[in-house]
Amino acid sequence: MIPLTFYLGLAALLFSIGLYGVMTNKNGIRMIMCIELMLNSANLNLVAFSSYTDTLNGQVFAIFSIALAAAEAAVGFAIFMAIYRMHDKINLDELNILRW
Amino acid sequence: MENLMFLAPELAVVATGLIVLLIGVFMSPQTKNMLGYLATLGVLAALALTIQSFGTEATMFFGTLSIDALSQFFKLVFLAVSLIVSLASIKYNENSDHTEEFYSLVLFATFGMMVVASANDLILLFCAFELASLATFALAGFEKRNARSLEGAMKYFIIGAISSALMLFGISYVYGATGTTSIPMIAENATLLAENPIGLVAVVLLIAGFGFKMALVPFHMWAPDAYQGSPSVVSSLLAAGSKKMGFVAAFRVFIVALAALQPDWQLAFTILAVVTMTFGNVVAVSQTSVKRMLAYSSLAQAGYIAMAFVVMTPMALTGGIFYTLAHAFMKAGAFIAAGAVVWMITSQKTGNLDIPDHLDSFRGLGKRMPLAALCMTVFVFALAGIPPTAGFMAKLVLFSSTIQAGMTWLAVIAILNSALSLFYYARLVRYMYFLPPEGKKIGMPFPYAAALLLAVAGVLAMGIWPEPFMQWAMDAAQVLI
Repeated sequence: MIPLTFYLGLAALLFSIGLYGVMTNKNGIRMIMCIELMLNSANLNLVAFSSYTDTLNGQVFAIFSIALAAAEAAVGFAIFMAIYRMHDKINLDELNILRW
Repeated sequence: MENLMFLAPELAVVATGLIVLLIGVFMSPQTKNMLGYLATLGVLAALALTIQSFGTEATMFFGTLSIDALSQFFKLVFLAVSLIVSLASIKYNENSDHTEEFYSLVLFATFGMMVVASANDLILLFCAFELASLATFALAGFEKRNARSLEGAMKYFIIGAISSALMLFGISYVYGATGTTSIPMIAENATLLAENPIGLVAVVLLIAGFGFKMALVPFHMWAPDAYQGSPSVVSSLLAAGSKKMGFVAAFRVFIVALAALQPDWQLAFTILAVVTMTFGNVVAVSQTSVKRMLAYSSLAQAGYIAMAFVVMTPMALTGGIFYTLAHAFMKAGAFIAAGAVVWMITSQKTGNLDIPDHLDSFRGLGKRMPLAALCMTVFVFALAGIPPTAGFMAKLVLFSSTIQAGMTWLAVIAILNSALSLFYYARLVRYMYFLPPEGKKIGMPFPYAAALLLAVAGVLAMGIWPEPFMQWAMDAAQVLI
């Protein structure tokens, strides 16, 4: 059996990649992809823990969070769509009317 | 079958939301105006049901939902905000084609916040958190042809999504170390978490996740943009409602579930509280947009409430919980008053149309809209903590309990901050009453007037006759200790 730490390490790595991507990317679609990566790394954690602690809460939680991630992406894309109609691109660096 | 009557307020809110959405589809924009009154009635019914069920205690759905003094108190906060917002939105949505969407989103967000208040399980807590967040993301970008609204919504969405990812990752570690997602069970197994190195990582991730929602510095970047860009009624819901949702979740998760790690998170909250109140007040001084100034002052207020996590005596928790209700009335009212001014500027088509909530729009407001100016004065003085308002009572309890607990330095910082905040609040009052008006007198629309008077009534009632509210807050604090 693969040790638990391997799963945790993979999840932590994916989470860090996602967080790095959100902080450095300027394109809205890529940002949503990175956020999905962060959410899915948490799901990986939940399922791994669920299997190693012999409780089912984690798997149930993972199913809920997959559904929520889909809903979140839908709302996010709707907002980006509206921005795209107005600016013809989704470069988040150029949205800077509101500051200080 | 469990007694669904315990859930009556939630069911009333969600049923109203569904009815509004369904019947709104078949109505013309003119007849849709009545949907606002319908939504207000639904919230009012839920409010009555909540007040009537004060003092009941129950757990439902296999212990995932608990009805206790804390949950009832915060439901009162959310429903009061929702009532003020739905009333004011009647004018905001007048003859709009999207009234039913607006109201159903407001009601679903309220429902999510109410479930967060009574969630006793991390799965339910996370789902309800997301329900409220998703509805408010959509509301923040509701004016889809307004570049400011969209920009605010985009920033709010990105940061909100990151915060929920951080929270979920932290929760997954808590679950891994304790083997359960139920909050009381985690509290029982908390020593497992304290011994495990991932417990500390989980605390950091959870503080970041909830910190974004509570808009504590340095997790605040979205708040000023989202509050300024969104329609004023939505800013009111965000600042007064959605922020309190972060607090009630943090109360339950940190104080009840993660009590074993108290030294760790207490240190973090000490730093966050001090930095937040100072940063918020200092930056608010230089703002020219009133909504943005209110956003920064809202950061500062969150810093005061976060002092409850630092002091942690029963009296301080009472003060913090009392403060959330006081802040809900003051902030919701202040944003609605700003919304009335924005309405005046855009409907008159004179003045700074690009930034309708600019300080200059408030020149001589005492003559142009006497009621809005008077209410705004009450709200800003309450935010500054001047008697006989709710803000004064809340600050009195919170700061004196801090001194009693021997943390005089923290109380001194907080009091100095309150003094600083008086500067920018008084400047707004000077603009409203001592500068000449730049236009003629405008009649106040009934929905705005009703919402403002309701908020003023709340602020004054809590200041003049605080005993019942204080007793409720005390009962709520008992749940945590």
